[in-house]
Amino acid sequence: MQRRHLAVAAGAVVLGVALATAAQSSPATPTPALSATPGHIQVVGLPCLPSALTVGMTNNGRGAVYADMELSAPSPLVLDRRVFSSWLPVGQPVSVRVGVTAPRSARPGHYTVDLSVDRSRLSVPVDVLPLPPKGPDDNLLLGEQATPSSTNGSFSPCGAVDGDANGDHWSTTTGWNDGTKSVFPDNYTVTLPAAGAVGRVVTDTLDSTKYPAAKYGLRDFDVQAHVNGAWVTVASVRGNTSGSVTSTFPAVQADGVQIVALDSNDHAYSRIVELEAYSS
Amino acid sequence: MDTPTRRKFLTVTGAAAALALAGTLPGITASGATTVDTDRVPGYPFTLGIASGDPLPDAVVIWTRLAPKPLEPFGGMNDRPVSVRWEMAEDERFRRVVRSGNALARREESHSVHVDVRGLRPWRHYFYRFHVGAHTSQVGRTRTSPTAHQPVPAVSLAYASCQAWYEGFYTAYRDMAARDHDVVFHLGDYIYEYGVGADGGLRKQDMAVDFQRETTTLDDYRGRYALYKTDPDLQAAHAAAPWIVTIDDHEVENNWAGDISENNDPVAQFLVRRANAFRAWWEHQPVRVTQLPTGPDIQMYRRFQYGDLIRFNVLDTRQYRDDQAAGDGTKAPNPDSLDPNRTITGATQEKWLLDGMAQHSARWEVLAHQTAIAQLDTAAGPPVLVPMDTWDGYVASRKRILGGAQDRKVRNLVSIAGDLHRSVASELRPDYADPSSPVVATEFVGTSITSGQDGMDLDTGGQTILDENPHVKFGNFQRGYVRCEVTPREWTADYRVVDKVSIRDGKVTTRAKLTVEDRVPAIHVH
Repeated sequence: MQRRHLAVAAGAVVLGVALATAAQSSPATPTPALSATPGHIQVVGLPCLPSALTVGMTNNGRGAVYADMELSAPSPLVLDRRVFSSWLPVGQPVSVRVGVTAPRSARPGHYTVDLSVDRSRLSVPVDVLPLPPKGPDDNLLLGEQATPSSTNGSFSPCGAVDGDANGDHWSTTTGWNDGTKSVFPDNYTVTLPAAGAVGRVVTDTLDSTKYPAAKYGLRDFDVQAHVNGAWVTVASVRGNTSGSVTSTFPAVQADGVQIVALDSNDHAYSRIVELEAYSS
Repeated sequence: MDTPTRRKFLTVTGAAAALALAGTLPGITASGATTVDTDRVPGYPFTLGIASGDPLPDAVVIWTRLAPKPLEPFGGMNDRPVSVRWEMAEDERFRRVVRSGNALARREESHSVHVDVRGLRPWRHYFYRFHVGAHTSQVGRTRTSPTAHQPVPAVSLAYASCQAWYEGFYTAYRDMAARDHDVVFHLGDYIYEYGVGADGGLRKQDMAVDFQRETTTLDDYRGRYALYKTDPDLQAAHAAAPWIVTIDDHEVENNWAGDISENNDPVAQFLVRRANAFRAWWEHQPVRVTQLPTGPDIQMYRRFQYGDLIRFNVLDTRQYRDDQAAGDGTKAPNPDSLDPNRTITGATQEKWLLDGMAQHSARWEVLAHQTAIAQLDTAAGPPVLVPMDTWDGYVASRKRILGGAQDRKVRNLVSIAGDLHRSVASELRPDYADPSSPVVATEFVGTSITSGQDGMDLDTGGQTILDENPHVKFGNFQRGYVRCEVTPREWTADYRVVDKVSIRDGKVTTRAKLTVEDRVPAIHVH
């Protein structure tokens, strides 16, 4: 891990909190130092495939402060956080993850994410890469736009097309969980940029030591493909208790794939760790 | 209770709130207009409502936060301070203004203002509002507490907890706001740290990405309070009565305990999160500067005296507790949960509480706090399985505090709490393992405002609790709140429940009326 600190000239900037009722007499506090890890990132123009940056502030003053980092990036970059405010005890780096995405239309090139806290500034180089071609063996759904019927709490709608099928990462960095307890069906829909052959869908439902599929996984569901403007059921799964279900069917020309979840083994929530589709 | 004033107030508030959104309020001149550049506030700034709280015989805190764009970073405010004019009057038309002044709203405090209005008369209603430039806030009604030894014939109160915004509508608050309460308690889980989903869950509202992640940073927590406080029913409940607010776990994180996070994050890292959570809590609640956190530490436990009738002990059973026993969850009583050295309050707060009980300052001694003290066996049949996060995981604290109340001959001890997302009324014994242990107190756990979504009258779990715990006298698994009427002779608790929180206009009814008579710690179900 490479952590980059900017040397910061001590500015006479007061960041501290003062009581509304008390006269403010805080001593001058040095501006927090900024950091970003990694020091350089690459982004692909897929709507559901964010690149991550960890940004940090370190208070090198003599007393704890509250500080506001502002984050900005030029179009076409999209940040999932514009402000990072925190209490900063002395000498302890405090950091947060920032997701950086670019739309499919983004022109490949060099950009920056700019961080600032008062007089501290840090620019992080970002390369927008050309879209990778998807070959016959590639997962067509990876990073494509997911629009579920609902999404629970802290889960991301993109959680089941982010390339992470590891159930141990459930709810922290990956996975999709619907938001309507004990109400079915729930749909998890992924839209493709253009119609193409789809002949195999892999549905990875939640399955980990802590949350076994037989207790928490999808039980009954239909796999549907969007063909000529209509949803067509290409496979039906009933009574499932395993973590990964591969559905193979005669290939169709589809510009979308969705799971229609009819029930889960706890009859409460629909949970998908990763959804993949292949041409054959 | 002065019902005529109340009725008049509700009418005026409704009209004022509607007009204020349109930017004008007949008959009110914005006296603060000359002190402020209106361009500093791009639009109506009182989108998060107003509030009052922590009433004393001569004082009450009034609160607002300027947020013309409530769901934007910093509420859409720039980094300059703004002068906010406030007024406190004896009448809802502000003809008899008794106190007024200016407060500075600054970005460091999310442009919130907390004015500790002093010099008021005891046990009186007051009305308050704020002005910024040409903008005037809604009108709030509040009430000071009685003087310490004043004879008080009756106090009406309500309490609520657990209001996951994305799990339903705040219909219970609309009902609460339409009724007369001298004081309202919030017993925790005012916000949830979890993301609200891309569609706002049951609210079906497209949400920016800032609201879809779990809160850890100060801006995350600030944004979440702003989101919750945009709800008109919650705003109405704040505007109708003074609130006394404490926290439970979700204001920080599920089931945190002291400096230990749910998933055992490094302590230094968790304390930063705790500091951020406490700071945002303070910025958004009507509390005094004495509750302003110092980094990760906050003085949450405090007392409120209502004449000779009630003393409220607002507790903090999160910040000083030992970690949950036996790895948390629901377990059989175990050497860890039964360890006589364990504490849910911490030693200092426990001493403060017991010393206070020895003073016999009021007829009803109330613990206003987070979670159930009663033993709650959740397993059908002979095995005993109890929650490790409630006082069942801290049996020694239960014994010391209930036993301590008994030793000090407390006349009436009543516990009000939340957390469980169900209504549970229980008779409290210091030691449930000892059949001779007497009932020394009563407990009225209130259900959630929305958390858990629509419930039902009695679920399987609730039936099991009633079957397995003879000291539990009432249970219900719907959403709602509790309102109480307290007199020298009797404590009456009405459990108000909502048939559905998944729709906007659920129906609210009284599911049960429970009473306790003076000097007799027994619950009567009517």
